[in-house]
Amino acid sequence: MFMRTSLMITALIGTFLISAPLALADIGQIKTLKGKVEIERAGKTLTAEAGDALEQADTIVTGADGQLGMTFIDSTRMSSGPNSRIELSRFRFNSTTHDGEFNTRVKRGTLSVISGQIAKRSPDAMKVMTPASILGVRGTRFLVKVDDAGAGQ
Amino acid sequence: MILKSGLRASAALVLLSLVTACAAPKGPSELIVLLPDSTGKVGTVIVSNGENKTVLNKALAAARVGEGPEQTQAVTLNQEEVDKTFAQALQAVPPEPVSFTLYFAKGSTDLLAKSKPAMRMVLLEVASRQVAEVQVTGHTDTVGRLKTNDDLALKRARAVAEMLKTRDLGTKRILTTGRGERELLVPTKDSVAEPLNRRVEIIVR
Repeated sequence: MFMRTSLMITALIGTFLISAPLALADIGQIKTLKGKVEIERAGKTLTAEAGDALEQADTIVTGADGQLGMTFIDSTRMSSGPNSRIELSRFRFNSTTHDGEFNTRVKRGTLSVISGQIAKRSPDAMKVMTPASILGVRGTRFLVKVDDAGAGQ
Repeated sequence: MILKSGLRASAALVLLSLVTACAAPKGPSELIVLLPDSTGKVGTVIVSNGENKTVLNKALAAARVGEGPEQTQAVTLNQEEVDKTFAQALQAVPPEPVSFTLYFAKGSTDLLAKSKPAMRMVLLEVASRQVAEVQVTGHTDTVGRLKTNDDLALKRARAVAEMLKTRDLGTKRILTTGRGERELLVPTKDSVAEPLNRRVEIIVR
């Protein structure tokens, strides 16, 4: 009994270790980029480049001449024009079952979305939040623009 | 006299525009537009502002959201307006992912001879992209248990990933996964041997 339990625990740890790098860190990649684009990650501001990997909780900030396009591991595609601030708040995806969750916040600027496997699998799994609205995404392609007249961020 | 009333009129205009400026919403204003995908299919987006819900389910259907929930307006845009408002975001959309399917011998990770040329197509597709990433997903038919098929699917994906790594692929970003019997190309009942379901899908994106 004890051995079986410890075997199970070992198996669980094994599974976790194997799936950890992709599940926890790498959620997508920057595919196109022009002008000034930065990633705010864990209190640091990084200059973004095409090919960079994206992580959950990253905030993407484009300058007055900036634009970028990203793909995610569930094949969702997103892109933004200048003066945008996009927060990749929550991303969870099981590549075997396709269960997952994808929440993005558009603080300001523009966002183009072509949804992928997460939205396809479950109608409530993908949401885009703006300062005034919550968008429930049943698929597939849509655009969002937020003009911030007052707030700086 | 004419001059005087003209002056009075312009003063009134200035005053009016000042009042309008003050009345304009201070908070963010938002625009959400639904578009058809590359195949022409139109999905659905539900825009919620508090209690207020706007369902977008037609091409170019849009919601304009003002300061308060009562200011949400359902409108239909024209293509020129969309192209102009979202020019840079639309320009930055990454290229569409392209998919290739390779078939396998029953219960094994042996690639069928007819599927070997597809590997070359994958290399060409990767080379044609600025920043490429390869997703390799293994599938099985419904013969055998779910767990066994999950293992076999993953083994098939890894076998293909290994083959790709031995070539000069031009990207190190290869993701492998197995979906077992969850996504049948040809729908069957359980325990049905179906050659078309024994496959690996390679997505280049």
